Amino acid sequence: MAGAAAFVEADNAEEIMARIETKSQKIESLLKHYKHVEALKTALDGSPPKTLDERCKSANWIVVHRAIMAIKDIEGMLNSLTAEYYDILMKYLYRGLSTGDEPTCEQCLMIHEKLTERAGLGCILRCLSDTTNTV
Amino acid sequence: MAVVDVHRFAESITCHAWSPDLSMVALCPNNTEVHIYKSLSQDHWERLHVLQKHDQIVSGIDWSSKSNKIVTVSHDRNSYVWSLEGAEWVPTLVILRLNRAALCVQWSPKENKFAVGSGAKTVCICYYEQENNWWVSKLIRKRHESSVTSVAWHPNNVLLATTSTDGKCRVFSTFIKGVDTKDSKAGSPAETKFGEQILQLDLSYSWAFGVKWSPSGNTLAYVGHSSMIYFVDDVGPSPLAQSVAFRDLPLRDVLFISEKMVIGVGYDSNPMVFAADDTGIWSFIRYIGEKKAASSGSSYSSQFSEAFGKFYGSQSKSTTANDASDSRGGVHDNSITSIVPLGKGGSPKVMRFSTSALCRMSSPDNNHRNECYISTNLK
Repeated sequence: MAGAAAFVEADNAEEIMARIETKSQKIESLLKHYKHVEALKTALDGSPPKTLDERCKSANWIVVHRAIMAIKDIEGMLNSLTAEYYDILMKYLYRGLSTGDEPTCEQCLMIHEKLTERAGLGCILRCLSDTTNTV
Repeated sequence: MAVVDVHRFAESITCHAWSPDLSMVALCPNNTEVHIYKSLSQDHWERLHVLQKHDQIVSGIDWSSKSNKIVTVSHDRNSYVWSLEGAEWVPTLVILRLNRAALCVQWSPKENKFAVGSGAKTVCICYYEQENNWWVSKLIRKRHESSVTSVAWHPNNVLLATTSTDGKCRVFSTFIKGVDTKDSKAGSPAETKFGEQILQLDLSYSWAFGVKWSPSGNTLAYVGHSSMIYFVDDVGPSPLAQSVAFRDLPLRDVLFISEKMVIGVGYDSNPMVFAADDTGIWSFIRYIGEKKAASSGSSYSSQFSEAFGKFYGSQSKSTTANDASDSRGGVHDNSITSIVPLGKGGSPKVMRFSTSALCRMSSPDNNHRNECYISTNLK
C-alpha cells in the first residue's frame, strides 16, 4: 500500500488486448442469454486503469459500452451491483457522456441519475479527481 | 446526546484556536487580523484584542496550552509568535525564509517547536534559540512535490506527519540537536536526523488534507479530495492502511476524539463520525447533525451502525442561535474548514470540539457529547 503501487496488471499491452478479446466473447454470449448484469460485471472487471496505452482503454471501452447499451432494467442492475463497481461504472458513464452520441448519452444519463442516488456525490468526486486511473 | 452551541463571530472564519483555559478564542475573520474573544457568559462574547501585524490573510493559528503563546502564520509568508505581556499581546517575528504562502501551523506537544506547512513545497520547523532570544526556522525542503496543506505532530515531539496537494502523506523526523533529547529506546538512526523521511503514503490520487495522529500516536488519519478518508495503523516500517470511501462531498479536516473514533469535517457542512470496530476496520458511522445515516453501501460494512442507532436515536439537539440550517440538518451553512479540540492537548479522549466554517452564517460551535462506550459526566 505504501510507496510504489503494485502493478498487478501485466505491463505488456498485448496481453491486455488478448484478455479484452476473451472478455468480449464472454460478454457476447452472456448478452445472448439475457444475462445483462453479468455481462456488465464482466466488462467492468479487470478494467485496465493502470495502463497508459490508449488502445487498451478504447478496447475495454467498446466492451463496456456494449454491455451498458444492453441494459434495460437499471434499478435491477444497480441492485445487484456491489459497491466496488460503483466508482468504475461512474467513470465509464462519463466516458459515454463525452462521446456525444445520442443513444449512448441517453442511456448513460439515465444510469447516471440512478447511480448518483445510490452512491452519492462522493462517487462523482472520485471519478473527477482521479486523473491517474482514467478509463 | 450531542449538544451544540453556536456562536457567530464573523461572516467567515478562516481558522481558530482556543486558549488554555478555554475562556478565549482567537480567530481570523477572513482578513489580515486575529481577533481574540473572551466569553463572559453562555452567549455573551467580548472582543478583547485585535492582533494586527500580518499583511495578508492569516491562514493558521495555534495557541499553546502550557506556555500560553499564540503562533500565527499568513499568506504574507511570515509568522509571528505572540506573548501576553501584561494586558497586551506582543508579537515576535519569525523569519521563515519562505517564498510562498504559509498554509498551516501547529505547536509541538512540548511546545518548544512549531511546524509550518507552506505553498513553497517546504515545511518550516521553528525552535527558540535561547542565546539569541530568537525563533530560528529550519526547512524541510526535500520530498514534497506540491503545497503542504496540513501538519500534525506525533506525541513524541519528533515525528511530524504532513499532507500535500501531491496526494501523499509523509512522516518526517524533526529531531533538532539541542532542542530534542535522544530517547534511548528510540527507533532507527533515521529518526534522529532532521528532515529524514520515515514514511510516505501514496494512497490518494488527489489532494490530501487534514492529517492527524491518534492520541497514542499509533494511528494516522488523513483525507483525500476524492471523498476518501485514509486510516493508517501501526505507522512504522510495515503500516496497515485502509481507505474508506464515503457517499458525500470531501472532507477538509479530521480530529481523533478517541483512539478509535474520528470526526471529519468538510464540504458537507456536517461533521461525520468514523469509528474502528474491534477488528480494527474503520468505517463511516453517521453524521452529527440530524441527518439520516448514509447507507453503508459505499463504505466497507460495519457492525456498529445499528448499535449507534440505538444510542443516538433519542438525540436531542439544541441550538442557541437561530440559523437557517439547510436541508443537510447541520449548523453550518457552508463548508467547514477546521475542527479543533477543546481540552488539554494529548488527552486520550476529546469530549468537546469546535468547528469553524466559511461564508454566510459561519460560526464556531461547541459540540458536547457523551461517549457511548464509557458513561462520563459532561464537563
